[in-house]
Amino acid sequence: MSGTGAEMDDDHILAGEYVLGVLDLSERLSVQGRIKGDQAFARLVEIWEIHFAGLNGAYVEVKAPNLLPKIEARLFPQERKSRRWFGWMAGGLVAAGLLGAVLLTLPSPQPATPVATLAAEAQALQFAAAYDGQNLTLTRTAGEAPAAGQDYELWLIVGSDAPVSLGLASAVETTRALPGLPAGAVLAVSLEPTGGSTTGAPTGPVLVTGAVSL
Amino acid sequence: MDDAFAPLLAKVAAQDRAAFRELYKTASSKLFGVLMRMLGNRTECEDALQEVFTRIWLRAERYDPSKGSAIGWMIAITRNHAIDRLRARPVESADEDAVLMMADQKPGAEAGLMAKGEAQRIVDCMSQLEGDKARAVQGAYLNGLSYQQLADRFSVPLNTMRTWLRRSLLALRECMEK
Repeated sequence: MSGTGAEMDDDHILAGEYVLGVLDLSERLSVQGRIKGDQAFARLVEIWEIHFAGLNGAYVEVKAPNLLPKIEARLFPQERKSRRWFGWMAGGLVAAGLLGAVLLTLPSPQPATPVATLAAEAQALQFAAAYDGQNLTLTRTAGEAPAAGQDYELWLIVGSDAPVSLGLASAVETTRALPGLPAGAVLAVSLEPTGGSTTGAPTGPVLVTGAVSL
Repeated sequence: MDDAFAPLLAKVAAQDRAAFRELYKTASSKLFGVLMRMLGNRTECEDALQEVFTRIWLRAERYDPSKGSAIGWMIAITRNHAIDRLRARPVESADEDAVLMMADQKPGAEAGLMAKGEAQRIVDCMSQLEGDKARAVQGAYLNGLSYQQLADRFSVPLNTMRTWLRRSLLALRECMEK
């Protein structure tokens, strides 16, 4: 970390405010982005966490319900699928070979090309958008899924028109049918309550944006 | 109490699911207690606890025992998630009697704050702050109160509360690094 003593104090205070939790949501998101990109600053946050950990004894234990089955279903969902895949493979290797040969001869759609990166300064979240002439695919390339009770929502803004919702974007990958996508349009992701905005316009903070270039 | 968690976390980092189940059994009530105190609403706390343990599984390899206790690391993840939820609430509701109760107590008055060893240092340093300022720091850390909620609670303007806490942080840093 470079800078004057005053700047170092500012960083110490900001890290302390972050750990205490008093910052508002947009400030928190910006600090979280900084933690990812600035090791010296991340260390300041760690130091405050360790300093204040001495207060943790004041938290009283409360017996938690057994949520392990739900947590494990969330963390390890691929198991059943992969077993089915394995069974199919074992039973149908010859068929698979034939199918592969057929697939190779089918006409492929226009390949999806990258059209925008949705990002914001000091924002951990990032999405890549690709378009194949019919479908827009949005892939979360950095950052985490929204917390329970929240969803990401994708918006298309053409010129000075009002944003149009393209639906939720909480999954790692989302595909939307989209008949046309003008260059220069802006894609944006906002943070919304579960299910998305009910007003037809973004209600939560806009987290990341990106301009479309075809 | 934290030493038992460090080896478990190391196993979780190595994708040991049995260790993960053991960690849930032994650490979930402490983390649930953190969530209940900060968020209050039981249903929300159950959602949050799932997210917290998901993050613990995904991030366990980043835990570094040289940088503090395993339970402290897990509580930091828990508090962070709780605060993200609190700050994402559309309007900070006035219905917060439960979380505000503690602010009346003197620093150190809570049973758990009769701390020992390393934990005693922050308690000692907090006791050198003026009473209201120490209570504000404690209300922020333990209950997740925002600047605005603290300003309302202590009947001071928002900017005064910001100044209080920033000066308190500088004083605490100086004291902790002595």
